[in-house]
Order: sequence, then C-alpha cells, then structure tokens
Amino acid sequence: MRTILKNGRILDPSSEMDIVGSVAIEAAQVVDVGDDVREADGDEVYDCTGLWISPGLVDMHAHLREPGESHRETIKTGTQAAAAGGYTTVCMMPNTTPALDNPALVDFIFDRAASPEAGGVFVAPVGALTTGNEGRQISDLSALKRAGIVAASDEGAPIQNANVMRRAMEFCLQLDLPIMAHCEDVALTGDGCMNEGAMSAMLGMKGMPRSAEEVAIMRNCLLSLNTGCPVHILRVSTWGAVEMVRQAKYLGAPVTCDVSPHHFSLTEDSVGEFDVNFKTTPPLRTEIDVELVQQALQDGTIDCIASDHSPYAPYEVHTPFDEAPFGMAGLESAVAATLTNLTQRGVLSPLETIRQLSTTPAQILRLEAGTLKPGATPVAQVTVIDPNMEWTFDATHTFSKGKNSPFDGMQMQGKVVLTFCGGEIYRDGSFGSERYLI
Amino acid sequence: MSKNLLAIRHLEEKQIAEILNIAAEFKETVTGGGSIAHGRSRTVGLLFFENSTRTRVAFEQATHYLNFNIVNFSGTGSSMSKGETLKDTILTLRHERIDGLVMRHKSSGAPVLAAQYFDGPVVNAGDGQHEHPTQAIGDALTILERKGDIQGLRVAIVGDVEHSRVARSNAWLLHKLGAEVRFVGPRTLMPSHTGKLPGTVYYDLATGIADSDVVMCLRLQKERMSDGLLSSVAEYARMYQINRSTLRYADPEAIVMHPGPLNRGIELDDAVADGEMSCVTDQLTNGVFAKTAALEWVFREEMAEVTL
Repeated sequence: MRTILKNGRILDPSSEMDIVGSVAIEAAQVVDVGDDVREADGDEVYDCTGLWISPGLVDMHAHLREPGESHRETIKTGTQAAAAGGYTTVCMMPNTTPALDNPALVDFIFDRAASPEAGGVFVAPVGALTTGNEGRQISDLSALKRAGIVAASDEGAPIQNANVMRRAMEFCLQLDLPIMAHCEDVALTGDGCMNEGAMSAMLGMKGMPRSAEEVAIMRNCLLSLNTGCPVHILRVSTWGAVEMVRQAKYLGAPVTCDVSPHHFSLTEDSVGEFDVNFKTTPPLRTEIDVELVQQALQDGTIDCIASDHSPYAPYEVHTPFDEAPFGMAGLESAVAATLTNLTQRGVLSPLETIRQLSTTPAQILRLEAGTLKPGATPVAQVTVIDPNMEWTFDATHTFSKGKNSPFDGMQMQGKVVLTFCGGEIYRDGSFGSERYLI
Repeated sequence: MSKNLLAIRHLEEKQIAEILNIAAEFKETVTGGGSIAHGRSRTVGLLFFENSTRTRVAFEQATHYLNFNIVNFSGTGSSMSKGETLKDTILTLRHERIDGLVMRHKSSGAPVLAAQYFDGPVVNAGDGQHEHPTQAIGDALTILERKGDIQGLRVAIVGDVEHSRVARSNAWLLHKLGAEVRFVGPRTLMPSHTGKLPGTVYYDLATGIADSDVVMCLRLQKERMSDGLLSSVAEYARMYQINRSTLRYADPEAIVMHPGPLNRGIELDDAVADGEMSCVTDQLTNGVFAKTAALEWVFREEMAEVTL
C-alpha cells in the first residue's frame, strides 16, 4: 500500500520544482514525485488540492532543554512541537545542563528522540564548542562528531575570547564540522534586557546596543575569512548585522546566517507594558531593522529561517521583565509567522519560502534532508501546508511545554496540516498511532 | 478593574489635575488643623522590595492622615528571600485581604506585573529606572505653589536622566501639563534614544538651563563611577553643578529642586541648597500630600460605592 499526497502544489527547491502534482510514499520512502503519479486500488490518498507539498522542514536552532532542564521542555515534547510545526529535522542546541560536550550525552539524546512517545522527527544534536559551554577549553569535537553531532556551537554562552574562537575554527575546519555562532559581545550587552532604543529609554530598562551583536558578528566573520572555517551566524537582528554578513560574503568568507521569525515580524514596540513574552536575545529591534532584514532574506544575504525555539516554564516568565530569562517558544509558530509576514506579503515566493525553511538549512549542515527526490533522504520527510488557512495562534494549545510565545493570540494565514517523517506522524492537530521511524 | 497609579505616562491631563487638586485641598485642610480621615478604613500593604526610608515614611504619614491601616512588607526578611516569586507574594497579600498596595521595586515594570495579580489599587512608589509618580505629583504641587501655573514653564531636569525614575515621571507630568521639558546631562548618563520621552536633550549645562523657570537636579549615584559612566565626581560637579555661578544662565526668578537625598557639593552647592530659590524642604512636605492624594484617588470611587 502506498500513501499518495494528491494534487498539491509541489515545492521542492532541491530540484527547483514548483508544479501541481502528487507525491507517492511507499515503505516509508518517497518513491514518486510529479504530475503523472499513478494511483492504485488500496492506496491511501490524501487530497492536497490547494495545499503545498514540500520537503520536511529543517530547523537549525531549537532548545530541547534535555538533559537537565526538563521543566522547560523535553526531547519528547520538543520533538512533538517540531512535528506539529512542520519540521522533520530539528537541531538541538548544546546549552543543556550539563552542556552537550561529551559523546554519552549525544547517545542519550538519540535514545530519547527514538522513543515511541517522542515526536518521531530527527533530532540533530549540536555539540558544545567548549567544555561546559564555558568558552575556554575546546571540547573533544572529534568524539562528538563520531557520536553524531552535526555542528558545534557556543549558543547560550557566546565565546568572548577571540583567540579561543579562532582555535575552535581551526579544529572545526580540520574535522569538517560547521560552527554555529551566537554573536554577542557580553561586555556591551551588560545587564541589558531589551533593545537599547526609544522603548528602553521610555520604560527605564537597561538596553542592549545593536553594536553588541554587530561587533561579534564582524569578529566571527573575520575569523572565518582568515581560517577558512564555515561559520553559520545564528539569528541576525539588525541591519548592521546583515551588512556585516554581506561584506563577509563579498570578501569570500564561508559564512551563512539565519533569522528567526520574531526578528522579521516584530519590533521593540511589542514589549509594550513590560510584556515578558517579547524578551529575547538578540532583542527585538526597530522597524528599519525588520524592513532591511526582510530585504536581506529576499536578496539571499540571509540564507535561511530558524525558530530559535527557547521554551521556559510558566513560572520562570511570571517575573519582572529584567529578571525573566531570554527567549521565546517558536517551533509551532515559525512556519505560520513566516507565511503570514513574508510569503503572503510577497517578500518570499512559495518556493523561496520552502528553500529557507528546509533545503538551505539542510545544505548548510550537509544533512540528508530538504529534498523530495526519491531515495535522497533516509526516510520520507514531507510537510503539507495549507497556505491560506486563517487561524489564531494560541500558545496555550501547543505541544511544547513553553507557552512563552510572542505570537500568542495573533491572526495567522497559513498552517502546517500534515508532517510525514517515515510514516505519518502529525495530522489535524494530533499524532497518529501507526507512525514509525527507521 | 481597580484604579492604579503605576506611571504618570499612563495618565491623562485631567487625571493628573484631579490628583493635584486633591493634594492641594488636603494640604490646606491638614495644615489648617482639620482632618481628612475616612470614617471607614482600608488596609494598605507597603511593599518595599528596595530600601527607602524617606518614601516609606512619607507613605506611612499619608496613611495616618487618611486613617488607613498599614502592613509593612520588605523584600529581605520575607518569603522573597526564600525564593517566592513576585506573583505568589502578590497573590498571598491579596488573599490575606490587603485592600491596596504601595510598591517599591528595583525592577522597572514590577508594579505593572503586581497589578495583574492583585485585585485592589496598586500605587507605584518607584520602580527601577521607570517611574516614581508620587514624587512627580509632589514636585508639581511645589512648582504650582511657587509659580502659580505649570503651562508654559521651562523646566530643565539636570543630571543622571538615564537612571532616573524621578526624571521620567516629572518629564511626563510637566509635559502633559504644558511645560517645556529639557533633559540636561552628560552623554553617558543620558538615554541614547529619547524619541519616546517628552523632552529635548542638552549636553551643555549653560544652554540647557538657559532662561529656565525651574531647575530640577537629579541625585547622582556614586556607583556610576564604577560603571565607567563618569571619570570623577569632581568632573561632574565642574560641568553640571547648580550653584550661584551656573544659575546665572537660568531665569532670575528660577527655583531649584532636588528629590533628595542631596549630595551637597556635587549636584548643588550649599548656597543654592539653602537659598531662597531652593524648594527642597517644600518638596518633602508636598511629597507627603502627594502620596495622601494618590491613595485617596485610587480608593475614592470604590469607597464611595461602598457607602452608597
């Protein structure tokens, strides 16, 4: 028996395909894609008329919080959130407790992700660049790579010492391991808790200047240029940051970067009356930043979109703004926010939208994902999106433990309706019983 | 919804005038030997998560005038030090049947959060670097007594604007009542973006206070030095001190204000602090009536309903 996703708009950036047709899945593999897919008696057929059929989405940046912080998220709830959000691969950041700096923890993560209770999507662990994520001693990256990490990162604790970062790049170049860099000069951010700007001045809140991000991006770009190590800059937020990356690419540095939905959708004004759901790092910036970040998505300076899913327990965010932790839950709103704020407004074409949510992240991390080509992925990874569905995002009804969403209550246009990863795993707001992951 | 006094920024001109009228009325009654005590009492929690003797005393005095009861709660020596969240502290007080809260907190916006979990009036007694509404009301009363009107006045707020809740509350109040507000101070102590604050920025004292009717000094916290925001206190005094010599730039009839505690010899010199242009002692007295009026204002409607 085959599963046929019938008569949808097939968007596969890996082959520049944008046609109306069908996708056939058999034995957990994509076996046929196109406008002449045959249908047999007994096939399970999903009518995808008016829907998009895309490669399973790839999120480069999520915090699944396990081990050590399961009050915020677990691999089970985080992967369920990923599947519900349309992702079939989710990269997991290493700033757990303890930090993801040894191979046993990588094994633990794979075990948890393979549990039948988990969301059934692939978890791609990102190792800690330095032991304990402390920014001093480089981790045993070769052992971590053997264990299965797809990149190494200083996420959550940006490396301040430029020489440590330089050496880390040399190690990673040798190991053929991309670096994902959290770019922040913490001396400049200090104890700031939102963008340094007109809002922070009005609210009497300590600000984080844009230069804190830009200085660090510039440093990492130059180190990448000098060492030749591929560096992926995590979630740029300012027009200056975009400009730094543009220059670095012009100079030939092997750098890429992503942006998170909140940074191309919202500004510092959203903080309103000290609303903790709008606290993140880098902070929400200003209108000109949103405009130029969108432009950079359009011209390719920004390579892709990542959720920066950072869930927290409710009690952790029911605090005064300056005491709250940085970050927003994002896995279940990222696609809708992208469609609503970019695609529907003509910033990105449907094909470009999928490229930035799936194909490019897979290419940057060299994953067997981000494509519908038969046999190109270990199992079928397909996401079906209704681009026109109008709905209201309700953070209280999400799979993630983190309800700290800046999009809570927002009107959205576009929704993930089906996520296949091997077998069918997510449809109509719930998980099927027969899913299997090979 | 209970009536709160969380920020002057939130108020309409009319509401500010209401509170100012109550304050002036109360001052006249009390200083004339009369009573403003309510027949029926309310219990107000004084929540000082950050130390402040002066503001606490002024609020205690205000509650005495109104015949309100108070319960004291301080951040240290309470469950806050045992790790209780602000939310739970507020819910506790709510269910212990406290009627209203007066709150001082080191975090900007903390009273806004408290008001979400409390079901009676909340009065902000200073939150982080955000606002200190009753200070501004007392200061406005002082200006009204000395100048007769606020409309059209030039007011220069001098000093550490960036870190000052007094500056923000005063700027909003004076702006809403029609004064021209100027922020004067060094770049390191001035917000880098003032587009959402009601005032014009001056880095030079002489031009900043030129022809001003009111010169309002802000307290300089010594820790700004260790933050690298000042090279020395002496340098600050040289550039921004209000004294007989610098006051020449202001209007000859200008008054000088300071929220206290004074750093004599730094923000202003003895001659000005003790001179006839100084309003420092009036500010203290009016601060009490401002706080009395604030409590009256937030409780007034609700208490009227009860007596009906």
